[in-house]
Amino acid sequence: MILSETSRRWALAMPAVVTIMLFSILPLGVVLFYSFLSPGDFGNVKWILSADGWFSVLFERDIFDDTLMVSDAHLTILGRSVGLSFATTLITLVFGLPTAWFIATRPAAQRGFWLFLITIPFWTNLLVRTIAVQEMIRSEGVFNRVLMALGIIHEPLQMMFTNFAVLLGMAYVFLPLMVLPVYAAIEKFDFRLTEASYDLYASRFYCLRRVIFPLVRPGIIAGSILVFVPALGAYVTPRIMGGGKSMMLGNLIDMQFGQGRNWPLGAALAITLTILVLVALIWYTRLTSGRTERNHG
Amino acid sequence: MLDIREISKRFGYGNGVVTALHDVSFSIAEGEFFTLLGPSGCGKTTLLRLIAGFSAPSGGALVLDGKDIAGMPPNRRPVNTVFQNYALFPHMTVAQNVAFALEAQGRRREEVVPAVDEMLKLVQLVQLKDRKSSELSGGQQQRVALARALVARPRILLLDEPLSALDMKLRKEMQIELKRLQRETGLTFIFVTHDQEEALTMSDRIAVMSGGRVQQIASPRELYDRPANHFVAGFIGESNFLAVQANGGAVSIGTATVTLAGARDGPLTVMIRPEHVTLGTSLPDALNLTATVTQLVFFGTDTHVHLRLPDGTALVARIQNALHGGRSFNEGEAIAVALPAEALRITAKAEEQA
Repeated sequence: MILSETSRRWALAMPAVVTIMLFSILPLGVVLFYSFLSPGDFGNVKWILSADGWFSVLFERDIFDDTLMVSDAHLTILGRSVGLSFATTLITLVFGLPTAWFIATRPAAQRGFWLFLITIPFWTNLLVRTIAVQEMIRSEGVFNRVLMALGIIHEPLQMMFTNFAVLLGMAYVFLPLMVLPVYAAIEKFDFRLTEASYDLYASRFYCLRRVIFPLVRPGIIAGSILVFVPALGAYVTPRIMGGGKSMMLGNLIDMQFGQGRNWPLGAALAITLTILVLVALIWYTRLTSGRTERNHG
Repeated sequence: MLDIREISKRFGYGNGVVTALHDVSFSIAEGEFFTLLGPSGCGKTTLLRLIAGFSAPSGGALVLDGKDIAGMPPNRRPVNTVFQNYALFPHMTVAQNVAFALEAQGRRREEVVPAVDEMLKLVQLVQLKDRKSSELSGGQQQRVALARALVARPRILLLDEPLSALDMKLRKEMQIELKRLQRETGLTFIFVTHDQEEALTMSDRIAVMSGGRVQQIASPRELYDRPANHFVAGFIGESNFLAVQANGGAVSIGTATVTLAGARDGPLTVMIRPEHVTLGTSLPDALNLTATVTQLVFFGTDTHVHLRLPDGTALVARIQNALHGGRSFNEGEAIAVALPAEALRITAKAEEQA
C-alpha cells in the first residue's frame, strides 16, 4: 500500500501526537472536567455538573447563615505562594549570580569540579535535603544550639513552621536551578568585551550595566523562570518546613484530595496554579523577545 | 608625545618568571603612524596592552604629554584600541557601539548624536547604523571598531593586528583606508602587526621587535636598506647571508675580494638582497664569484634564481622578467655572480636574551 505524502507525515508524527495527548492534554482535560463536578461523600466525585468547585477557590459560604464571603484562607495561601515564590527567586538570584560568576571565571579545567559541587545536592533526594535544612533550624537544631552556647540568645528561636522556614528550604532546594542557566550565560560571555568597554572610558558599574548585564540577562531570566515555576507548585518543602501554619498552593490542593474530600475544588485549584504558571511563562517570552536596546540618533 | 622609558614586563613568579619586555625605550611623535613589528611572542602585543592600560609594567615609565600614565586605569587614559577580534558589543547596533565611549564619558545626547553621525560618515557606514553589529561582514565590523575607537578623539589610537582576520583583497583596501583615516584625523596611530608588508606600506616609522627587545627603529626604507642586525635583515624582506673573511678593510670569499667600509678584521656575516645580486657578468667594486644554478622559480613579475656557491652556500637572485633582452638560465648551468659592494651590508648578531 502506498501512502500519500500527507498521510505518511501524519503517520510519522503519530508517536509524538499520541504521547502529548496521553500524557499532557488528556490528564489536564480530566482535571478540568473534574473541577466542574460535585464532591463525593468519601472523596472522588459525583457526576453532577456544578460550578461550586471554582466558586470555592475564592469564596466560602457560612455554614450557619449561608452568607457569601471571600475566602480569607485561600487568598492568604494564594498570596503566600506567589510571594514566597518571588522571594525564593530573588534570594536564589542574589546568591546564585555571584556563585555562577565565580564558577564561570575559574580556569576551564576547574569549572567541572565547582559545577559538580553545585549539582551534588541536586541529585540527592528532595526529602533528605529538606529535612537536612530542618535539622539546622529546628528548636534543638544546630543554629539554636550554637547561638545559645554563645550566649546570644537564652530561649530557642522559633524558626520552623514559619514563612522564613519555607523560604529558606525553597531557596536551598532551588539554588542549582538558578546557578546553572546563569553560569551558562556567563560562560558564553566574551570577557574581551569588558576590556573593550574599559578602554572606551566605561567605569566598572557602567560596564556591568551596559555590557555584562544585557548579555547575561537571558540566563538570569531563564534561571528565574526555572525557580519561580516549580516554587509556585512546591509541595514537599512547604509541607515539612511550614507544616500546617505556612501552607502553599500545592499543600492546599493535596488537602482537597485528602482530608478535605473536595476533589472539584482541588481540581479547580490545580487549574488555577497552571494558569499562574502560564502567566509567568508568557511574561518570560515577552521579556526575552523584545530585547533590543533603545535606539540612538 | 609618548615616551616609553625603560619599560619592562615580567609574568609569573619564582622560577617560572617569563620576561616579555626587556627595558624597552623609545619615543613616538605627534601624528605619527608608528608600527610595532615582530613575530608572535616578541612582546609587541604586551607593549600595546601596557599602553592601553590592560596591564601594568613591572618597571619603567609611560610618559604621555609629560605625565606618567603607567599606573592609570584604562578608562582614564586618552587612548583607545581597535582590537584584533574587534570586540564589538553584540547586543548593540552600529550607532550604539560608536556612541559607547561618549556615553560612558557622560556626554550629553546633543553632543553624542552628531559626533556619531560624523564618525559613521568618516568610515562610510551611515546606511548601516541601525544594524546589529553581529549582522555585519568582517570588513564592516572593522570599520565599526575603528569608528568606535576614534569617536572620542583619543590622543593615541592603538591597533592590535586589526587586519589579520580579513582576506587579502579586503586587507589591501583597509590598509589604504587606515592611512586615509590617519591623515584625515591627524591622530597618532600605534599599529601592531607581524606582517612586514603591512608595516612597510603604512608606517612612518617601524620598531622591529624580537625576544622582548626593540631591534631597530627606523623608517620603512631605512629598515629595508640598512637593517641594524641579522634579525631585522632576515625579518624584513628576503635576504642572502654570506660568511666572509675581513682583512685590512676588504672582505673576501675564496679568491674574490672587495673593499667594504666598516669591515673589521676577522670572520663576518654580510647580507645582500636578492634583487641586488647580478648574474651573468662581473662588475668592478663587487665580489665576483661563480655559482651553479640549482633551481628556477617563476613568480610572474620576476624569477627567483637559486644558486649554490662552490663552498656550498645557497644564494637567491631575483631577476625581473623583462620583455626583451632578458637572459635565460638553465638549471645546472655555472654562471658568473656579482655582489656589488654598495649592496653588501655587514650584519651584527641580534640582541638576544640576557
